Amino acid sequence: MNFNFDLVVRSFPLLLAGAVVTIKITLLSVGFGLIIGMFVGMAKLSKIRLVKVLATMYVDFIRGTPLLVQIFLIYFALPMVLGKRIDPFIAAITACSVNSGAYVAEIFRAGIQSIDKGQMEAGRSLGMSWAQTMRYIILPQAFKRIIPPLGNEFIAMLKDSSLVSVIGFEELTRRGQLIIARTYGSFEIWLTVAFIYLIMTFTISRLVDYLERRYKIDDKH
Amino acid sequence: MISIKGLHKRFGKLHVLKGIDAFIREQEVVVIIGPSGSGKSTLLRCINFLEEPSDGEIVVDGIPLSGEANINKVRTEVGMVFQRFNLFPHMTVQENITLAPLKVRNMSKAEADKVALDLLAKVGLSDKANAYPDQLSGGQQQRVAIARALAMRPKVMLFDEPTSALDPEMIKEVLDVMKTLANEGMTMVVVTHEMGFAREVGDRVIFMDEGRIVEEGTPEAFFTGAKEERTKAFLSKIL
Repeated sequence: MNFNFDLVVRSFPLLLAGAVVTIKITLLSVGFGLIIGMFVGMAKLSKIRLVKVLATMYVDFIRGTPLLVQIFLIYFALPMVLGKRIDPFIAAITACSVNSGAYVAEIFRAGIQSIDKGQMEAGRSLGMSWAQTMRYIILPQAFKRIIPPLGNEFIAMLKDSSLVSVIGFEELTRRGQLIIARTYGSFEIWLTVAFIYLIMTFTISRLVDYLERRYKIDDKH
Repeated sequence: MISIKGLHKRFGKLHVLKGIDAFIREQEVVVIIGPSGSGKSTLLRCINFLEEPSDGEIVVDGIPLSGEANINKVRTEVGMVFQRFNLFPHMTVQENITLAPLKVRNMSKAEADKVALDLLAKVGLSDKANAYPDQLSGGQQQRVAIARALAMRPKVMLFDEPTSALDPEMIKEVLDVMKTLANEGMTMVVVTHEMGFAREVGDRVIFMDEGRIVEEGTPEAFFTGAKEERTKAFLSKIL
C-alpha cells in the first residue's frame, strides 16, 4: 500500500478549517454546558423537592442515553413538534450543550459538596442569603477544585462533537468523510483526522495540568 | 434579648433538645457548659436557625424566628463564632470582614474597610489585614472570625466552643478578646469548656445534660454550691 502524502498535504487546510469548527462547537457547548451545569448542579442540592427531582431527571436522562440519539432527537424529532426545520449548527450546539450541561452539573455538585459545610454556615450566620453565600463563598472555592474534571469534560466533548457529523454538520470528522468520498484516501485522511484530534486534546490536557498546578501552589487564594 | 420557650430538636429519631426554656438579658454573658452530646451546641445553633427547631419558640430582640425573611434579619443581629473558625480561605482577612457589611448592610467600601481596620486593631491583628487565613495561627484566625462577626454590629454574639480547636498557648489571646467584649457590655452566649472564663466573665452559668437544662446560677453559686447530683458529678470530673 502506498501512503499518498500529497493527499495529506492538499487536504490539510480543509481539515484544519474543520478542526476550527470543532473547537468552536466544543467551546460553545462547554460554555453553555457550564452555565446549565452550574445551575443544575446547585438545583440537585436544593432542599426544594421539585427542583431537585427535575434536575435529577435531566441529568439521568442525558447520562443514560447516547449523545448520538440526543442529536437525532433534536435534529429530527424536535422539528416535528416545532413544525419547522432546525439549522444543523443550532441543533449541534443545542444537543452538545444540553449533553455537556448534565455532566458539568455532576461536576459542580461534587465540587460544591466538597466545600466544608462550615463555609455555608459562616456565610448564613453573617446574614447573607443562600444565593449570596453560594456566589461569593462557595462557588469561587468550588470552581478552583473542579478545573481538572472540567478539563476532562472539555476533552470528552471535543471528541464527542465528531458525532454531529451525522447530521451533516461540517466539523473535522465530516470534512474527512467528504474528502474521502472524493479521493478514496481513507487511510491517509482518517490518520490525519485522528492526528489533529490528538494534537487538540493533548494541548488542552497540558493546559489543564498547568492550571491545576498553578492553583495548587496558591491552593486557596 | 433572647427568649426560648419549649424548644425541642430532633435529628430523625435522636431527641437532642428536650424542652429548653431560657431567657438571656441584654448585656448578659451566659456560659453554657455540659458534657459532649448534651445539646449545648445544638441549642446555640438553634438561636440563629443554623438548626431548625423541631418545636418551640425563639424570639430574638423582639423578632420571632420563623420563615426565611425573618431568619436573615435575625442573623444580622446575631454574630456567631465557630469552633473551627470557618474563615473564607479564598479571601484576605480584610475581605473576610468586609464581605457581609458590603453585601448585607450595603455599606460603602470605604466605610466597610474602616470598620474592618478598627476591628482588626481591636483584636490586635492590624498587621494581618492583607494576609490569607492559612497564613495565620489558629488563635489569630479565631480573632479574625470574631472581628468578622462584630463587623455586622450584632446585638448578640454566640460562641460555639471558640477555643476547643486551639493549641493551649493560643487559648488566652482569644479569651482575652472575648473578655474585652464582655466588659464593653456585649450580650454573649458562650458554649465552652473553659471554666476559668465561665467563672471570671460569666454572669450566669447554665449546665446542660441530655438535652435539658439541669441547673443554672451565678458562677459563684454554681461552682461552689451546685445542688443537683448530676452537676456535682460533672464538676468533680473537670475541676
